[in-house]
Amino acid sequence: MEVSSLPISASQRGKLISAGYSSLSSLSSVSPSHLARDLKIPENEAVEILKVASRRSGSDKIENGSHVIMNGAQTAWDMLHEEESSICITTSCSDLDEILGGGIRSKEVTEIGGVPGIGKTQIGIQLAVNIQIPADYGGLGGKAIYIDTEGSFMVERALQIAEACAEDMLEYNSLLRKDSQSHQANIEPKAFLDNIFYFRICTYTEQIAVINYLEKFVFEHKDVKIVIIDSISFHFRQDFEDMALRTRLLSGMALKLMKLAKKFNLAVVLLNQVTTKYNEGSFQLTLALGDSWSHASTNRIILYWNGNARYAYIDKSPSMRSASSPYAVTGRGIRNSSSNCKRVKLM
Amino acid sequence: MKPEDLLRHPLPAVTPKLTLGCPLLDRLLHGGVPCNAITEIVAESGTGKTQLSLQLLLAAQLPTSRGGLSGASLYLHSEFPFPVRRLHQLSLVCRLELPHNPLDSIFVQPLYSADHLLDVLPRLDFLVPRLNIKLIVIDSVAALFRGEFENTGTELKRRSGIFFKVSSKLRLCARKFGLAVVVTNQVVDVMESSNSLRIGNSVSLCSSGRRVCAALGLSWANCVNTRYSVRIINTRGDSVS
Repeated sequence: MEVSSLPISASQRGKLISAGYSSLSSLSSVSPSHLARDLKIPENEAVEILKVASRRSGSDKIENGSHVIMNGAQTAWDMLHEEESSICITTSCSDLDEILGGGIRSKEVTEIGGVPGIGKTQIGIQLAVNIQIPADYGGLGGKAIYIDTEGSFMVERALQIAEACAEDMLEYNSLLRKDSQSHQANIEPKAFLDNIFYFRICTYTEQIAVINYLEKFVFEHKDVKIVIIDSISFHFRQDFEDMALRTRLLSGMALKLMKLAKKFNLAVVLLNQVTTKYNEGSFQLTLALGDSWSHASTNRIILYWNGNARYAYIDKSPSMRSASSPYAVTGRGIRNSSSNCKRVKLM
Repeated sequence: MKPEDLLRHPLPAVTPKLTLGCPLLDRLLHGGVPCNAITEIVAESGTGKTQLSLQLLLAAQLPTSRGGLSGASLYLHSEFPFPVRRLHQLSLVCRLELPHNPLDSIFVQPLYSADHLLDVLPRLDFLVPRLNIKLIVIDSVAALFRGEFENTGTELKRRSGIFFKVSSKLRLCARKFGLAVVVTNQVVDVMESSNSLRIGNSVSLCSSGRRVCAALGLSWANCVNTRYSVRIINTRGDSVS
């Protein structure tokens, strides 16, 4: 088949032929950037030409020129290597980290839900701080986007958690690096707050607009490593008359968030409320937004009360087994639940 | 408005707080009732929810240096009658500290039903900046919602729909104008037999010897930012948890 039969503009056809690409088979094994260089055209134009060419040449191309058609495909082997080298975001509670396989993972959408007062926002703030732990201390050294739909984000509280985090890092420094004073980084708790991009959302239209805008924003701020939405459900629980519309809007949002996580190698954490569900004569607690929404996240963690202790339970995960672990919300943030740092109870 | 406009960077400054007029309570709440958010006060009847509300209405007018918000306040009440004599009594104390009569800057609006509340809320956008309102108190939400709705699936669903609508509107206002919003709620008894749902830090609290928890259920609990419970111990003193 000849290049001249392709439905592309005459100037592009001319450039192709003059650069020596006369047959479709010669286009099958060339990468878009290579073609762009050869033809002196922008790369997106080259991608377009390759797309047209691969469509024209039909299914037989898949065998000999697969990397052009399935651009972005990876082998499972590569993915395993990538996953092993990636760093998890710690929750500051080692019991919780253990059942999560190290912490919150990048490239995944993690949904955390629980009853009011269980500590969803606290986990959100803790993650926004922990993402900034520098690589020297085993962190990611990134920035956070915090999308607040409920107005529960308290700057004083974020500062408190940041101060505790900075103290812990100093302690770690003095324990492990006694001799090398050169590593002594000056950690300012206020600097933690500078690296949290805060959006306050007041309606669901704003929520959708911000999520659409995120891709552009993250593209401009490549060091953003986590997006926290607190909570995903609040604005979608007002009387939506058209439930089909709600489902459509929500699944569109979920797709965007998954794509964002994958494309920019960042973690997306969605906090969700709980609701009661009527099932065969009894009421059960489930996460809000319905059954179709439960497909939207890669991992689902449910927070619940067990006696007087807070517990987290892995409800859904492709890689981790179901397990639960206790955790505590302390003055310093999320910590292990043990006798010496139990929640202060006012009697 | 563009999505870019929503970005507040650096983070919002430290939240202004409204004093409760009692140094002990203020210290417990890290300075008082926070602005830009909804604070709920839960207590059984006779604990002093309305007293606390009246106190806040007056405290909001104090200058910021004294822990107030130097603005007017709006009182939406659904429990009748309006305790005007008590308010007058309390205002005599504040009168000495303020250049104007504190009663002039307290606006009162009675509420008769849940739908009435929904009618009033859109007017806030206009009223709040005009009257320089810095505090809205709703006393009480429970009275509005506990009577009107039947205990059937569709009615309760409609009720929680209204909860989210009311809360969303209040939060929008609180954010837009930097308001403190305080709502009061009643309590319900906790039955031993039912494995009741645990919301907040304690399953239930003991108030004058009964086990109680906040009224209006799970969906309303999602609608407030902070919840304080006030209880009576041995009828001698009140305690907040």
